[in-house]
Amino acid sequence: MTLHFELTGANAAAGVASSATASPRSGRLVLDRSLNCEASAPASTLAPAAIALETPTFLKYTRHGLQPHLVREVAAELSDMPACTRVQLEDFLEDDGSACGQHDAGLHNFVFLDRSEVLLLDTLDPTVTRRVGKSTNSFLAIDSEGGTKRLTPEVFAQLVDRLKPDIIIPPADYIEEPLPSLTQGKRISKSVTRSAKWLDESIAKSVYPSAVFAAVMGSHSPELRDISAKKLLARNDVAGYVFNDVSLALPFESKLQLAQHSLAQLDASKPRYMVGASAPDAALRAILGGIDLVDSSYPYAVTEQGFASTYVFGGEGAAGGIADASAAGAAAGAGRLDLWQESMFNDFGPLVEGCSCFTCRSHHRAYIHHLLMTKEMLSTVLLQIHNMHWYKGFFADIRSSLARATLAEDAQRFLERYGSSSEAFGELETLATQENSPTTKIQRKRHAEPL
Amino acid sequence: MTTSDEFDNLTTPLETSTSPALKFDVLAKCSTTKARASKMHLPHYTAHTPMFMPVGTMGSIKGITTKQLEDLDCHVILGNTYHLGSRPGPELLEAAGGLHEFMSWNRGLLTDSGGFQMVSLLRLANITEEGVEFENPHDGKKMMLTPEMSIGLQNAIGADIMMQLDDVVSSLTTGDRVEEAMWRSVRWLDRSIKANKRPTEQNLFPIVQGGLDARLRTLSAHELIKRDSPGYAIGGLSGGEAKDSFWRMVSLSTDILPDNKPRYCMGVGYAEDLVVCSALGVDMYDCVFPTRTARFGNALVRTGSLALKQGRFKNDLGPIDPDCSCPTCKNYTRAYLHTTVTKDTTGCHLITIHNIAYQMRLMRDIRQAIVDDRFPEFIREFMSIRFGKTVPKWIISALQSVNVDLTTVDEKTGYSATPISDDFQKVPNM
Repeated sequence: MTLHFELTGANAAAGVASSATASPRSGRLVLDRSLNCEASAPASTLAPAAIALETPTFLKYTRHGLQPHLVREVAAELSDMPACTRVQLEDFLEDDGSACGQHDAGLHNFVFLDRSEVLLLDTLDPTVTRRVGKSTNSFLAIDSEGGTKRLTPEVFAQLVDRLKPDIIIPPADYIEEPLPSLTQGKRISKSVTRSAKWLDESIAKSVYPSAVFAAVMGSHSPELRDISAKKLLARNDVAGYVFNDVSLALPFESKLQLAQHSLAQLDASKPRYMVGASAPDAALRAILGGIDLVDSSYPYAVTEQGFASTYVFGGEGAAGGIADASAAGAAAGAGRLDLWQESMFNDFGPLVEGCSCFTCRSHHRAYIHHLLMTKEMLSTVLLQIHNMHWYKGFFADIRSSLARATLAEDAQRFLERYGSSSEAFGELETLATQENSPTTKIQRKRHAEPL
Repeated sequence: MTTSDEFDNLTTPLETSTSPALKFDVLAKCSTTKARASKMHLPHYTAHTPMFMPVGTMGSIKGITTKQLEDLDCHVILGNTYHLGSRPGPELLEAAGGLHEFMSWNRGLLTDSGGFQMVSLLRLANITEEGVEFENPHDGKKMMLTPEMSIGLQNAIGADIMMQLDDVVSSLTTGDRVEEAMWRSVRWLDRSIKANKRPTEQNLFPIVQGGLDARLRTLSAHELIKRDSPGYAIGGLSGGEAKDSFWRMVSLSTDILPDNKPRYCMGVGYAEDLVVCSALGVDMYDCVFPTRTARFGNALVRTGSLALKQGRFKNDLGPIDPDCSCPTCKNYTRAYLHTTVTKDTTGCHLITIHNIAYQMRLMRDIRQAIVDDRFPEFIREFMSIRFGKTVPKWIISALQSVNVDLTTVDEKTGYSATPISDDFQKVPNM
């Protein structure tokens, strides 16, 4: 099995080496599971078993392997979604280190994910930003309802062999400590060494040839980030890079700068996934800065507030992914519609006029408002469909804009349009401290007090 | 999953009735028990009976889209007038064009009167001749639900079938109160009929009352028949009474109620109860049980239910039910479901889908067995799987009353059962 990443469009012509690592690029990520992969096959020819993903794009965020609120038949209402799904191991990890029972037909099969999907196995849920578990040299500590679970590289490797994911992000020593204490002492340095060790061991102890996306460590220290990056650059078994600083208590802009600092030291021909850059403004900034992949945790956060996404990207009257949304209907402001508002009570229009998603075709605002008020679970099902459809359109628009070489201007216009609202795109932050889902008593994952 | 086709070759009804908004055709009768299989032509849909109606309380069924409900072969679902009357309220429902339009459901809808919810949920529910007096939970004000108001709400909701407001007493109540309630319910029925503004679009079903008193039930049923309603319900049961009394009241009612009209036993949903009551001549059922128990991670199977949260399912790589063709059973293992039930809404949805499919399949199997005139055989098969060697006595008695004797050894299968005194047996005794 191979994972191949190639730059396309203007970047390809310019050549990899000359493209600044901190600028947006179009790309294609190709996964080929066929045993005998013709190394000499031209890049444009896809072997039948190959899956191609046009980047920049997003991995579908899941909980227990399913998109939040959407069983497969309902998720099937969403068309043209990128064929890549991320699953976090912590959803399945048991106290004894087992996961997914003794199922041995692979993770795709266990969560009933079609083989035409690229499956990425990460360890931690990206929407959880604060944890209290203390890791050691031997294991990553993961908070859970039943206490703290421990994940060693060896256990991770065994699970990889049994679950057979296409891409893995081996456990890294993500730090859960307040910023002030990080500037003193050796915690960051320890996390760089530890993560490198865990990466070594995870790869060495597993047999299944998953592609490895390695976490770039170093927290807020440029020097230590350099050390982490150098170690990764020296490896020949890393297929992509992951930036996961969700727990670092710094503004997103600072985190992006830190990521870009690292990117300058890394192989620009490899794909980059940034965790925590899911919100539209963050995703745009990240993509402008050279990131290829984010995940769809943002639409989930929007759903959990009882909101429907309305943000529009693109030139005036832009078509693209949201060809159907009227520019007039998508007002500026916070980029979302609050379905809890009293004014929704007797509003028989769709969530967004002209939206072609299943929810907007089948139901109106008054009904969804009613479902929220009566705490019916169908509310979040219907909102999630719309919000995922909308997010997909947003990324299609970004790719079109990139292809037309107008991304910088279009992004600026978008950020200005929504930048004046302090509430715009803050749903993930709200989600991090939210206790319950709006319609059920299902407790949100445990979280520690904000640092 | 397709709509039932068990009636493909049956076109001539054995019994029939035509009401302004309902046509009922009994197309097959069991030659042993009182069971029958029928088509009920409603304004929005033609339902097949015996039929189970999942409860969609406030205008949705626990996270399932109307498209999924159609795929699951639901014919009629229930809405609660009390809840819908509060939220979103009658004016909005009328503005929306009725509940069908509001929730985008094209098949059958049935609404209860709101009375039962009120009595069970609210403080100071005081019953007078005028109606049910209660304290508004939002502002503490004294309010009243009269038969006229209930019908008004139900007319706004626009369901195919409406239920009369009845004076409901607990099935454990005894004495004069029971008779008082029975007669009052008759008077409230007449007021309800008068108040129905849409008699050609919406059916109004009376409800047989009388507690566990055979005399009162008989009186009640005879009174209700005089009103020549499109169908009849049997109420005031499923409230914790002894099952032996329960089945006798049901059977007494179906003996009196006309053959050519549907009979609806309210609040019945356990599989064995559905089988027995169908043998006693009941056509329609509703219950929150299948969807409610799904939320706790319990999946319905022919042997009872599986509590998928339990550790023993951690490594169980089979589906909930290998004979079930619902999307959950076709694609997910018990081990997978174990990881997610009660943790994610999708876990809840997956079990809810299965439980609804289970109920629909049970009713299809019952209908098919009646059509094939092998219902007694089906009953024995069902009971042998569900209970094994020992069966609750009430079930044995109820079935004996309709000529099915589980205590005698079946020639073909060798199955027989001995009675136990408990009303409920959780797992089969093999």
